[in-house]
Amino acid sequence: MNDIVIPPLVALMFFPGGLALLAGSLLYEWADRKLLACFQNRIGPRWFQPLADVVKLLSKEEVMPEGVNKLLFLMLPVIALAGSLTAALYVPIAGFSPAFSFNGDLVVTLYMLSLLTLCLGLAGANTVDRFSLVGATRTLTQLFSYEAPFLLALLGPALAAGTWQINQVNNFAAQNWWMMLIQPIGFLVALVGLMGKLELTPFDAPEAETEIVAGALTEYSGRGFALFRLGKNVELVIGLTLMAAFYLGGIHNPLDFLLKTLGLLLVLSFLQSLFARLRIDQVVGLWWRIGALLALVNILLVLVIF
Amino acid sequence: MHGTALALGVEKLAGVTAPPRAQAIRSLIAELERVHSHLLWLGVAAHEGGFDTLFMYSWRDRETVMDLLEGISGNRVNYSANVLGGVKLDISQEQADAIRKGIDFLEERSHFYMKVVTNDETFLARTRDVGTMTKEQAVLFGAVGPTGRASGLDMDIRASAPYAAYTDFPVNVITGTRGDLEARFVVRIKELFETFRLIRELLDKMPAGELTVRVPRKIPAGETISRVEAPRGELFYFLKSNGSDTPDRLKIRTPSLCNWASVMKLAVGHKLADIPMMVAGIDPCFSCNDRLFMIRRKESDPGQIWTWEDLRRYGIGYYQK
Amino acid sequence: MGLKFDIPIGSMVSDVVKSFFKKPITRRYPFERLDAPKAYRGKLVWDPAKCTGCQLCVKDCPADAIELIVVDRANKRFVMRFHSDRCTYCAQCVVNCRFKCLNLSSKEWELAALTKEPFTVYYGKDEDIAALLAQAGKAENGE
Repeated sequence: MNDIVIPPLVALMFFPGGLALLAGSLLYEWADRKLLACFQNRIGPRWFQPLADVVKLLSKEEVMPEGVNKLLFLMLPVIALAGSLTAALYVPIAGFSPAFSFNGDLVVTLYMLSLLTLCLGLAGANTVDRFSLVGATRTLTQLFSYEAPFLLALLGPALAAGTWQINQVNNFAAQNWWMMLIQPIGFLVALVGLMGKLELTPFDAPEAETEIVAGALTEYSGRGFALFRLGKNVELVIGLTLMAAFYLGGIHNPLDFLLKTLGLLLVLSFLQSLFARLRIDQVVGLWWRIGALLALVNILLVLVIF
Repeated sequence: MHGTALALGVEKLAGVTAPPRAQAIRSLIAELERVHSHLLWLGVAAHEGGFDTLFMYSWRDRETVMDLLEGISGNRVNYSANVLGGVKLDISQEQADAIRKGIDFLEERSHFYMKVVTNDETFLARTRDVGTMTKEQAVLFGAVGPTGRASGLDMDIRASAPYAAYTDFPVNVITGTRGDLEARFVVRIKELFETFRLIRELLDKMPAGELTVRVPRKIPAGETISRVEAPRGELFYFLKSNGSDTPDRLKIRTPSLCNWASVMKLAVGHKLADIPMMVAGIDPCFSCNDRLFMIRRKESDPGQIWTWEDLRRYGIGYYQK
Repeated sequence: MGLKFDIPIGSMVSDVVKSFFKKPITRRYPFERLDAPKAYRGKLVWDPAKCTGCQLCVKDCPADAIELIVVDRANKRFVMRFHSDRCTYCAQCVVNCRFKCLNLSSKEWELAALTKEPFTVYYGKDEDIAALLAQAGKAENGE
């Protein structure tokens, strides 16, 4: 599959990014919710539930609260979704080689995904509602805590491959043993970091519905809310692809992609169902004490061994 | 529980006592209601802490006790077991066997929940040393029920002023020492074990006899106080009769009202994320706390009772400003 | 599966893993329906044959859900109008009735409706009910 070259514009708009990615991300959200339900001994939603949610949200009125900056309020969801969709250009989505690959695109991809979190934080800070402000603060605090260990953990395989280009790390991972076995500490940190990035339990303090309604997205409704949710779903798919490409032996054809990402999703849902929500100060303490330390240990080991 | 309190108060005024079998059935339904309430609370408190899995599982197990109560009384939540003078339902042998089986299953599950609540590090991070209330503070704030007992307060109406069948089937009062949220969890789950023991004893030694005693239609004039131990604490009824067949005054003081002071005082200094758990820790019944508000705009204002119309007009005017 | 040691993190793992391989506990109502137990307090059912018209059930209803309309007291012809939306299903009327005319059904308990009409139920002989409704209709038109 690495010889098929998809022009970047097609990849961005239609396949495997763009519309196909949007549709696929809805199915991934369904898979996550359904797996969580299976672990909790209940039925869970039907396959078209996330699609129905999006359609319903798009048809609702968008209420603009008083005191917000109107341009920011309308543009932030769009920018967030655009950032996540752009990140699809650089990762081997659906098993095809990335449509646009250059040296250093690992950093660009990670920052595209962080753009979404940043937009969430800005959206929360934009509104004059106490719940949104607290949610925005928590989102940005969490961003600062897991970002460094997550990047360091992803650097492990990149260092082993000797490159910053995702495509080449992907190929390197395919030719060697699975990085999950060679760098278990890095895998662990990256997995937990992914949970932090996606704001899954136990790191869903920014979106704690029992404490701050909906966090940064409290005042959003209708189209803006739908776009943010789509952005988060796309982030889920891209995060899973990155993890699978780096640690689970690379992705080279669609079947490989499906099996590995869905396997990772199973593990993520399993971990989601096991833990209670941590307070934001406990999250920061955990990441900066244990997470960063483990990530650094991993980097040292890689530098020494490889 | 409210029905039992009212029935006991009216019977006290009328000078009659319900027969022993009726009292035992009242206690049995009350204890099953306590199991139901504590399992519900466990799920809700876990949900407030973000632990949705515990929420789903404890509510799944709650279905067992709801089905038992449905088989006995006819409804899963509103049991309506009491009549003035006794109870209107009887426990047959096969119902008793079904209760025993259900209780065995629930006891095994409660042991599991006790282990989860006291061992899971992520959950302990949310409950240990949160909302700590010392015994002196508990006395000062007037905390009742498991909230107070978790701080070492030895107060249980079933033991200190026994009613219904609790004179013949005494209860061991469960207290905790640390007074934090974890202690409240532990006390309520330990109360579940005590309740299971009590239910088995009630079923084994249920006195035979009639279910009701004749209560006159017109209750003699007088005032009385009736207190029962609801799952949340001491439920207080003040009943005044003027000799006719409708009460002159009935004042109900629910236990949730007493426990709010502890949240208000102890919340100072905690983080925002602790507040939902602390509020859930007192097992609040929000509908029991709907109270009348009197608005006084100045010191000299005698106060004015607002009707729904006043409130609506005020709300509309506020947003038009 | 009883674990001999206490797990410090993820204590619910035994339940979670077991549930993944079991069927969900959710009952797919309304496709799967269980029968209600015999003691279930559903819709009120009235047997007019034994009724003497003492109105004890009407007197003690906390929700004014029962009305007993007298068509002919000497011949014991009554019509009962039951408001199932006002009823609290407490069964006080069942306890009060000395002749066991009233019963809360355990078969009919799915009482939700999309309009208001099903909530007012008439019990009694058909001709009595027809006469009553005709009377009410005449009164409305006459006004």
